[in-house]
Amino acid sequence: MLELKNLEKKFGNFVAVNKINLKINKGELFGFLGPNGAGKTTTIKMIVGLLSPTSGNIILDNTDVWQKPIETKMKIGYIPDQPFVYDKLTGREYLYFSGGLYNLTKNVLETRIEEQIESLKIGSWIDKRTEEYSQGMRQRIVIASSFLHNPDFIIVDEPMIGLDPQSAFLVKRLFEEKSKNGITIFMSTHSLNVVEEICTHVSIINKGNIIFSDTINQLYNLKKEKNNNLEELFIQLTNEE
Amino acid sequence: MEQIIHILRYKLISYIRLESRFTIGNFIKNVGSGSIYFAFAVGAFFFSQNLIRFLLVDIRVGLFLLHEFTSMILFIFFMSVNLGNIIVSYSTLYKSDEVNFLLTKPVKPSKIFFLKFLDNFFYSSSTLLMVLLSMLAGYVVYFKINVLGFLLLLLNFFPFIISAGSLGVIILLIIIRFANRFGMRKVFATLGVSYFLIILIFFKINSPISLVTSIMKRYPYFDRDIYLGEFLPSIVKWLPNNWLSQSAYRIIKNDISGLMGLTYLQIALSLLLFSIALYLGHRWYFKTWLLNSRIISDKNANRKISKPFFAFEKISILKSQTESIIKRDLLLFLREPSQVIHSLVLLFLIVVFVLSVAGMKFVGLGNFYLQTMIYLSVFLFNLFFISTLSLRFIFPLISLEGLAFWKLKSAPVKINSFIKNKLIVLSSIILFISVGLSFFSNYKFGVLLTVFSLTVTLFAAAAIISINFGMGGIFSNYKEKNAIRLSSSQGATLSFLSNIVYMLFLILLLFKPVSQLFLSIMLKEYFDLTVFLQALIPIAIISIIIIYIYLKIAYRSLQKDF
Repeated sequence: MLELKNLEKKFGNFVAVNKINLKINKGELFGFLGPNGAGKTTTIKMIVGLLSPTSGNIILDNTDVWQKPIETKMKIGYIPDQPFVYDKLTGREYLYFSGGLYNLTKNVLETRIEEQIESLKIGSWIDKRTEEYSQGMRQRIVIASSFLHNPDFIIVDEPMIGLDPQSAFLVKRLFEEKSKNGITIFMSTHSLNVVEEICTHVSIINKGNIIFSDTINQLYNLKKEKNNNLEELFIQLTNEE
Repeated sequence: MEQIIHILRYKLISYIRLESRFTIGNFIKNVGSGSIYFAFAVGAFFFSQNLIRFLLVDIRVGLFLLHEFTSMILFIFFMSVNLGNIIVSYSTLYKSDEVNFLLTKPVKPSKIFFLKFLDNFFYSSSTLLMVLLSMLAGYVVYFKINVLGFLLLLLNFFPFIISAGSLGVIILLIIIRFANRFGMRKVFATLGVSYFLIILIFFKINSPISLVTSIMKRYPYFDRDIYLGEFLPSIVKWLPNNWLSQSAYRIIKNDISGLMGLTYLQIALSLLLFSIALYLGHRWYFKTWLLNSRIISDKNANRKISKPFFAFEKISILKSQTESIIKRDLLLFLREPSQVIHSLVLLFLIVVFVLSVAGMKFVGLGNFYLQTMIYLSVFLFNLFFISTLSLRFIFPLISLEGLAFWKLKSAPVKINSFIKNKLIVLSSIILFISVGLSFFSNYKFGVLLTVFSLTVTLFAAAAIISINFGMGGIFSNYKEKNAIRLSSSQGATLSFLSNIVYMLFLILLLFKPVSQLFLSIMLKEYFDLTVFLQALIPIAIISIIIIYIYLKIAYRSLQKDF
C-alpha cells in the first residue's frame, strides 16, 4: 500500500503540493488527474526520491520512503514524463545498465530484457543508439527499464506522451495486466480518456490540493449528474477551486 | 539588422534574468565567486610585477628578451584561443537547439551565424582573459605607463584576441566543407597534426634557448634594452603575437611612430579575419549546417554494432551496481569524440613533459636557492598537470550524469557508493599519472627526495581530485552535455582557482625542506629527516581535511532536489 500523509512541497513561498493525503491499495490502477501545474509531477518526484518533501510522509508498505530510500526504491518502477536516456548507449545497453542498478544478476537480467523486448515490441531497434530514437521509442525503452526488477509499485508520469496509437494501446494493456497481477500503478495524467479507460481509482489535484478522490465508479456517478461529460466535470471541478 | 537587434534584446533579457534570480545559495555562490575572482585578479597583478622585476633586476634579461618571452607566451595564447574557438563554435553553430529553433523561423541563416558568432564571446574563457588583463595591468604599473599608453595597449590586445577567435571560426567552416569530401576523421587528424607542426616549427625557428644564447654571446658589448629585431627570424616578425609584444615595448619606449604601424597591422588583421569569417558564414553557414547534419546521420546509419570488451552482457566480477555505473561511464566516455581527443592530447603533452623532465638534475649548480626554485617550479608544473586533468575530467563528472540522472536518483543506489563508483576509474588514472610525473621528475635526486615527493604528490592529487569533484557538485549543470564547456564554466574557474590556492600552500610548505636538502647536498652535510616530516604532517592533515570537506560537499549536492 502507498500512503501520502500531509505531504507538502514548497518552492520558496510557492506551495506546489499542499499537505495532501492519499491511500492507494495493492493492485489499484490509480489515476492522478490534474491540469498543468497542479502538482502531479511534484508529488510523483517526491514519491520516487527526486524531490524531498517540505513536510509530511510517504509510506510504502509500512516503510517511510525518505527514511529507508534504498529499501523502498527496490519496490518502485518509475516512468517519468520526459524519457531522458543516455544518447550514446544502445537501448539494450540502457536496459542492462538499469537492471544492474537493482542488483539483478546477469542471467536474470538477460531473460527479463528479452521478455520486455517481446512484450513492448522493441526488438527491431533495441541495438541502435538511443540518440537515433524518437520520443515514443525512448518512452518504450524507459517503460521496459522500469519493469525489469518486477516492482510492486509502478509510478508513471504522463505515460502516453509521444506514443503512437499502437504503442499507447500496448502500454495501456500492459498496465491493466500488471494491475490484475497485483501490482499497484500510480499514474499521473491529464488525459481523461486514459483514466476512463483503464483506471480503477481516481484523484484530482488542483493548485496543490486534492479536490476529488474516489473510485472510478464514483466519478462516473458524478459525471452523470453533470450531463455525462467528463471533460466538463473536470473543468468545473478544477475551476471551482 | 532590426531582426538581429530584436533577437539580441531577448537573449540579453533571458541572460540577465537567469543571472539575477535571487536565492541565498546563489548569493553566497556569487559573493564567493566574486571574492575569489577579485583575489586572483589582484594576485595576477602583483605576480606579473614581481615576475618582471625578477627577470629584469635579478636575472637581468633585458627589455628585448622580456618582450620576446612575452611574444612566445602570446603565441601559445593565440593558439589556445584559436583551437578553443573551433571547439566552442562547433557547439554554438552546429549543435545548438537555438539554431534549430531559429532555422524554422523566417530568419536568414547568415543572421543566425552572426548571432551565434557573438555567442562565442560569452562562452569563451573569462578566466584566461581576467588573468591576462590583470597581468597586463601589472605590466602597466611596473613600467609606469600612463592612461593613454594603457589604452593603446588594449587597442592592440583586443584585436589580437578577435583575430584568434575569427580564425577559429574560419577554420571550422573549412573543416566541415572538407569533412564532407574527405571524412571527419581524416580532416580532424590533419588538423591535429597541423597544429602540432605549427607549434613545433614555431619553437624550432624561434627557439628561446638559441635566442638567449645568441644575445648573451654579445654581452656586455651592447644595450640589452634596445630592440634587437635582427636576432629574430623574419617570419616571426609577421606574427600578431610579435606585433603585440613589440607594441608593448614601443609604448614603454614612447616610440609612438613605431607603435602606430604595429597597431594598424593588428587592427587590419583582425578586421580582415573578422570580415572573412562573416563572409564565409554568409556564404557557407547554412550549407555547412546541412552538411554537418548529413555527416552525422550518415555516420549513425552506417555505424556497425560492435561489442566492446567490457560490454554489459559479459560476466563481470564486479557488483551489479558498480558494474553498471563503471561500464556506462566507460561507454559514454569512449563514444564521445571530444572526450577521447582531449584525453589523447593531454596524454601526448604528459609524455612530452615526462621526456623533458626525466633525468633532469641540477644538483651542483652551485646555488641551492636557484636549485630549489627550479625544483619547485617543476613540482608546481606537475601539480598544474594534475589540476588540469582533474578539472577537465573530474569536475564535469556529476554534471555529465545529465537529465538522465533521474534513473540513478530513483534507483536504490547509495550516494556513497555512487561517488565511489564515479571516481574509481578516473581517479586511479589521474593518481597513476601523478605518481609517474612525480617519479620521472625526481628519481635522479635519490631515494629520499623521490619518496618524499611521491608522498606529497599522492596527497596533493587526491585533494585536487576531491576539490574538483566537490566543486563540480556545487556547480552541477545537468543540462550541459559538453564536458569542455563544463570544464571552462564559471564553477570550473573557481575550482581551478581553489586548486591554485592549495598548490601555493604546498609550495610554501615545501620550500624549507627542499632548500635545506639542496643546501646540505651542496655543503655535503648531514640532512635531518625530521625537516621533511615537519612539512609532510601539515600537508597530510590539510589534504585529508580538504578531501573530507569536498567529498562531503559532493555528497550534499547529490542530495539536492533533481
